[in-house]
Amino acid sequence: MLEALWNNVDYVASVVLFCIGLYIIIAKNNLIKKFLGLNIMETAVFSFIVALGVVDGGEPPIMGPDATPPFASPIPQALVLTGIVVAVSTTALALSLIIRIYRQCGTIEADELREME
Amino acid sequence: MKKALVAALLVLTAIPLLIGVASMPPHGDPDAPMHTHVSARYIEQGEEEAGAANIVTAVILNYRGLDTAGEVTVIFTALAAALAVLIGFPAPPKDNDGVPAAPAPLSPVVSFVVRLLAPFIVLFSVYVILNGHVTPGGGFQGGAILGGLFIALTIVLGEGRTRVLLPRRGAPWMQGAALLAFVAVGILGTALTGYFLGYPAESQHLVTELMMLVIEVGIGLGGAAIFATIFLQMEEE
Repeated sequence: MLEALWNNVDYVASVVLFCIGLYIIIAKNNLIKKFLGLNIMETAVFSFIVALGVVDGGEPPIMGPDATPPFASPIPQALVLTGIVVAVSTTALALSLIIRIYRQCGTIEADELREME
Repeated sequence: MKKALVAALLVLTAIPLLIGVASMPPHGDPDAPMHTHVSARYIEQGEEEAGAANIVTAVILNYRGLDTAGEVTVIFTALAAALAVLIGFPAPPKDNDGVPAAPAPLSPVVSFVVRLLAPFIVLFSVYVILNGHVTPGGGFQGGAILGGLFIALTIVLGEGRTRVLLPRRGAPWMQGAALLAFVAVGILGTALTGYFLGYPAESQHLVTELMMLVIEVGIGLGGAAIFATIFLQMEEE
């Protein structure tokens, strides 16, 4: 088990990052900090997916006269590009919502907002 | 009590993830399923079939073009939603009894460097957008660079001098540029091959490359305009 984990230490790093993001979402009170936690979780998933496509000694999947196999898998990279754009979209929307909450309620602390209800 | 619950939840999340990770094929193994099925075919025939030396671009714009069209719709929808949330809710008037929140003076170094580098950053973003099919890069990356430059310039020069880049009448067209480019190329593809977003046969690489270029430029311009608009709207008081 430990040896398998050491072989996949790149994936383990993603798991650690994921848990850090989850911790921030649960433990922090400020909405912006919560959202940064979500962004860290997204980054963890992206790094995991990109790490899946790596080959030992691989080159970027760009063809040409000088290109020699093995190539890294292009699919995870394309998927993560899509994912990053979606992450940017959610970030923009969430920040807009937080700005609106602040303008309307005067605070972005989750517990103060709960008391207001 | 709460801390113990949080720790327990984190451990409960981490253990299944770690077990899953440990049972995966070793990192970088060329025989992993990831590398033996679809990827292998894309790498083998992608340049011939899709007409782009950069296989990532080939996947994004050709094999999974509809997927990218959906993604472009997502970012456009995010813009629309952000504007709907923000417009009509100006910041409440500041009460003057406290210390007035004077903006920190901008460092002359930052201001000078941003103004000095701006033309080079524009050049770099144009390079990244136009070379997406042969080098790493493409519309999204170049658009992000352009949008970032716009935000930096707005901070340094003030809103008045960068708003000119987003004129009231042209802005909607620029924000929708990515979607419009996709629809235009898709309809052109329908006319040429009979399939929406279809690219002409493998012998006509020039046409395929031009179609991809239109999409890349559209995505670049559209992405930059969307970032800039959201930033301006958030900053508005």
